[in-house]
Amino acid sequence: MAGSNEVNVNESKRVVPLNTWVLISNFKLAYNLLRRSDGTFNRDLAEYLDRKVPANTIPVGGVLSFDHVDRSTGLLNRVYLRAPESGGQAAAAAPWGFKELEKPLSCTSVVPVIVFFHGGSFTHSSANSAIYDTLCRRLVTFCGAAVVSVNYRRSPEHRYPCAYDDGWAALKWVTSRPWLHSGTENNSKVHVYLAGDSSGGNICHHVAVRAAEAGVEVLGNILLQPMFGGQKRTESEARFDGKYFVTVRDRDWYWRAYLPEGEDRDHPACNPFGPRGRSLDDLVGKFPRSLVVVPGLDLVQDWQLAYVEGLRKSGLDAKLLYLKEATIGFFFLPNNDHFYTLMEEIKSFVSPRCDSLQKA
Amino acid sequence: MGPSSTSHAGTGKLIPPFPPQTQLDGLLAGAGYKVRSSDLHHVAQRLESLESAMVSSPSHVVSHLASDTVHYNPADLVSWVDSLLSELTHSHHHPSNPSSSSSSSSTSPPSRPLPVDLDDLFSVPSAAINWVQSEMPLSQQPPPPPPPQQLTVVTTMEEDSGIRLVHALMTCAELVQRGDLHLAGALVDEMTALLTSINTECGIGKVAGYFIDALSRRIVGAGSVPAPPHETEILYHHFYETSPYLKFAHFTANQAILEAFEGYDCVHVIDFSLMHGLQWPALIQALALRPGGPPLLRLTGIGPPSPDGRDTLREIGLGLAEVARSVNVRFAFRGVAASRLEDVKPWMLQVNPNEALAVNSIMQLHKLLGPDPTPIESVLSWIRGLNPKIVTLVEQEVNHNQTGFLDRFTEALYYYSTVFDSLEAACQIQPDKALAEMYLQMEICNIVCYEGAARVERHEPLPKWRDRFNRAGFRPLHLGSNAFNQASMLLMLFSTEGYSVEENEGCLRLGWHSRPLIAASAWQASPGPLPMGADDYWNDD
Repeated sequence: MAGSNEVNVNESKRVVPLNTWVLISNFKLAYNLLRRSDGTFNRDLAEYLDRKVPANTIPVGGVLSFDHVDRSTGLLNRVYLRAPESGGQAAAAAPWGFKELEKPLSCTSVVPVIVFFHGGSFTHSSANSAIYDTLCRRLVTFCGAAVVSVNYRRSPEHRYPCAYDDGWAALKWVTSRPWLHSGTENNSKVHVYLAGDSSGGNICHHVAVRAAEAGVEVLGNILLQPMFGGQKRTESEARFDGKYFVTVRDRDWYWRAYLPEGEDRDHPACNPFGPRGRSLDDLVGKFPRSLVVVPGLDLVQDWQLAYVEGLRKSGLDAKLLYLKEATIGFFFLPNNDHFYTLMEEIKSFVSPRCDSLQKA
Repeated sequence: MGPSSTSHAGTGKLIPPFPPQTQLDGLLAGAGYKVRSSDLHHVAQRLESLESAMVSSPSHVVSHLASDTVHYNPADLVSWVDSLLSELTHSHHHPSNPSSSSSSSSTSPPSRPLPVDLDDLFSVPSAAINWVQSEMPLSQQPPPPPPPQQLTVVTTMEEDSGIRLVHALMTCAELVQRGDLHLAGALVDEMTALLTSINTECGIGKVAGYFIDALSRRIVGAGSVPAPPHETEILYHHFYETSPYLKFAHFTANQAILEAFEGYDCVHVIDFSLMHGLQWPALIQALALRPGGPPLLRLTGIGPPSPDGRDTLREIGLGLAEVARSVNVRFAFRGVAASRLEDVKPWMLQVNPNEALAVNSIMQLHKLLGPDPTPIESVLSWIRGLNPKIVTLVEQEVNHNQTGFLDRFTEALYYYSTVFDSLEAACQIQPDKALAEMYLQMEICNIVCYEGAARVERHEPLPKWRDRFNRAGFRPLHLGSNAFNQASMLLMLFSTEGYSVEENEGCLRLGWHSRPLIAASAWQASPGPLPMGADDYWNDD
């Protein structure tokens, strides 16, 4: 039941590899220290504990990265690109990948650009957190995509709608970079997808709505264990509370920290298809097709499944990837089947096919 | 060592190699954590215990873990979890005494933080009007390589001209490396013209100007006229005022020194570059406020000999003595005049084996990395021979010591772009900013125009310093969350956002927008036999 303090370590230990269990448990305990009961957050200690890595224009594992900072807003995006083929002319001319900024990613084929929003329940982590830097590099490697990771402002210091504003700004920046274009002359544009885990997935949805309303083309949404919720308590929340690293109480804390003060979880940011949400049927043809990945042991899954239902009821294309034995954070380490299944699905989702946003 | 190759099965899965027992778990390493594979079970157990303990402790005890406990090296999960566990256990045994407890990590207990009031940091009374009688008479003594680098492009390369300018700079540097000075010179003219079409107030345009200037000096063979030490100090002072880098360095080093001096009644600090002594008033004041009273503090300041028969070192020393007198700290100062650090001999420092010694080097040791015979090893060796309680090291976090000119030039271009960007944002006051930029320009010129012994700005990043210090018989003293918190507080006093502090294996790095620019670390003598030559100090020279 909600509020249970029982420690159910045995169950979670059985379903994930040991190093994953150590990683996520470490986060869980650290995060417990950082959240204060009065709703404030120990940001200094959080930043001290967070493992961060710098960008590196020297390719490592075939991927190079660099940071861009918007002068007026201070918004940081970390860009990940596939390194030019070694030994080739491009590599010799630009060992630090610099020349890529002048020319498009490709003039002959389509290279997807994934705008990635890291997770952390709107509160934790950054674009340069080690776990997310590593994940983005893996995305580049597995999917052959360029990735732009957005360092959006976090709660409780910056509540709704800051994260969405930053996401929207990043999307506009990405779609206006000539050097992120790909495709042949008739079709040269930024082939952009939105992706994110946890709060990042939530951000994807809301940025995609803004994009659809503004007529900015997004080819697909990838929501990985997206963070949604609502006032009522669902069956999955009861069944899994405290069992697989996450509690209903901590979910509540993060929503209180993100949503405007005094708001409840039926606020449309949290519950887009709930009593205060809206149908998106006016956006059919504009809102991107979605891939929603639901871990079978995530206590939030009923809300994630309701989200998929909501998309479909609006007439939008939504593919559900339900991973029965997966816990939250299964994608941080490539030591389980679910990780590889996920990468294959994402790769196939962003692979160029017909550009239509809507399946017939 | 197990097989190190991985194989791609048809399903596209990577089959991980079997890790040897002492190996770190590679996947956790990618997440920023250092845990040996063989320790995983142990860490898991400890995490479970920690969770149980947190669940069963009263909430004020748990919140103490977050607010008052000093955390050390979070990448080392084993010690982090253990230190939290022992904090909790201690609190259970002594519920009425929630503060200081021993942590199982190897570092010292938490201590009183330094004052963050900037006025306190910088109040050196104007040159002492009267002689100050101190316990000991003031006296003077006569005067004592690259792995793959990390590059970050932080500035925005929006304008075509900006991009072309950077390309031109790289090409010019490459021509210089190849010895094609004629073509390089022509390119300098082109670049100077390009400069007129971009914004030289900020970003790449600003720093490009300095690099074009440095390149053209190198091509012409003019080098740059080294500024007299007095002027250097003035520029240094302005650089200090306009950016948080030096303040961060001083603040962090002082915090570590304060902790290392706990429990000692006689302490001695050796400052490898006294300058205006800006670092020391804060330490003196913190020592004054120490529970149990201040120790006797000796400060030995090294600096260049003064021109014109002035005795700048002594003047600074007098000023610091005045600060100490005003807070009732027994204080003694000695100045050691030396134009190069390698000319300093340990006997000049008059270290007493009964005192706790701190050696403080803020952006000095890199000057010892010159061509063979490189003095760094012998200097580190005699430092080790002094058996210091702590060595505080602050260095620029970049590799400007690569042998290849083009590589060095490229690193410098991006590094100083970032530094200039940060100055731009932090300081709007014109004359100060210009002087601060002149200080940086001196560094740029030295890196670009000089070779051999004249090139002293041989910055190297932390991993290289770690190697050197380990080999010289030191082991790391981890800077903890206390220092981190205060560094963060210090940054808040600068109204700009964009500065960030990061913890990295017990060291702190201050940077601009996720690009680390300056790194602070602390070291203590490793137990065991001294490395060769280190005990020469105790022999007569």
